Amino acid sequence: MSVRLPGPERRESILKAARRLFSEKGYHGVSIDEIARKVDVSPAILYRHFKSKQMLYDAVLRAMSAQRESYVQTIINSGTSFEDVLTGMTQVYIKSISENPDLLRIELQSLLDKNPATSDFFKNRWKSFTDYIEFSLNERLPYDTPNREVTILTAALMFQGMLREALLQKYLQPEDRLVDVSLHELSHELVRMFLRSVGIEKSHLSRRGVING
Amino acid sequence: MSDFDSELDATGLNCPLPILRAKKAISAMEAGQTLRIIATDPGSVKDFEAFCKQTGNELLSSGEEEGKFTFMIKKAA
Repeated sequence: MSVRLPGPERRESILKAARRLFSEKGYHGVSIDEIARKVDVSPAILYRHFKSKQMLYDAVLRAMSAQRESYVQTIINSGTSFEDVLTGMTQVYIKSISENPDLLRIELQSLLDKNPATSDFFKNRWKSFTDYIEFSLNERLPYDTPNREVTILTAALMFQGMLREALLQKYLQPEDRLVDVSLHELSHELVRMFLRSVGIEKSHLSRRGVING
Repeated sequence: MSDFDSELDATGLNCPLPILRAKKAISAMEAGQTLRIIATDPGSVKDFEAFCKQTGNELLSSGEEEGKFTFMIKKAA
């Protein structure tokens, strides 16, 4: 016998179970029947809340994007240097994933599923970082830098790759050799290495910035 | 004469760039002066509301026309 729940609570419990299952098995790996079983309702009741699997999936994404990281607090509280802002944004992003690691799994699943709604959702999340890095480097990098445009794009890609890999290592492979390094330490070190690689040393950080070679 | 003192074009920029640039622009202004910001990121509406609430600067107006968001912010005394 299933327990009778009021509508909004039932909807919430369906969303939660769906998020979990989609994150573990991907969009195509989960059926409506399986989600219904998980929350102990009949598929008919589930369909009363969500008309199709796609609509349920979209609702899961919408609920997650309502919790989109806000960088406003970071910008208000931190300095405005490239290093300060990038460090602050990284901390916010890490916090958001640590509170909801399902996001990371759904992101990976969505890369394989080729679901346009999901890929846009995750692309936009990373875009905050890549846009910020590209915009800032574009302002700072000398105009005669060889391969300037490619250098800027590659730097943004490198940062995204580093941060995503650190999160994967910490949340999806917790047995690994990085187990003694906290994500906080890891991210600080990654930001530092990144800055050095694009030619920004902490002591050189100024309004004009210094990037050479 | 325009009804604002400085203007910031943040079109095409994603969060947190509009907020960051606004913070820099406001810090260079005198108390009581106004900044007009134009942005295209839909998230900027919520962001500027939060920004003003937390910094004490006054959000005089906020509007949207054809995908462009315009904000008027008065620097706090």
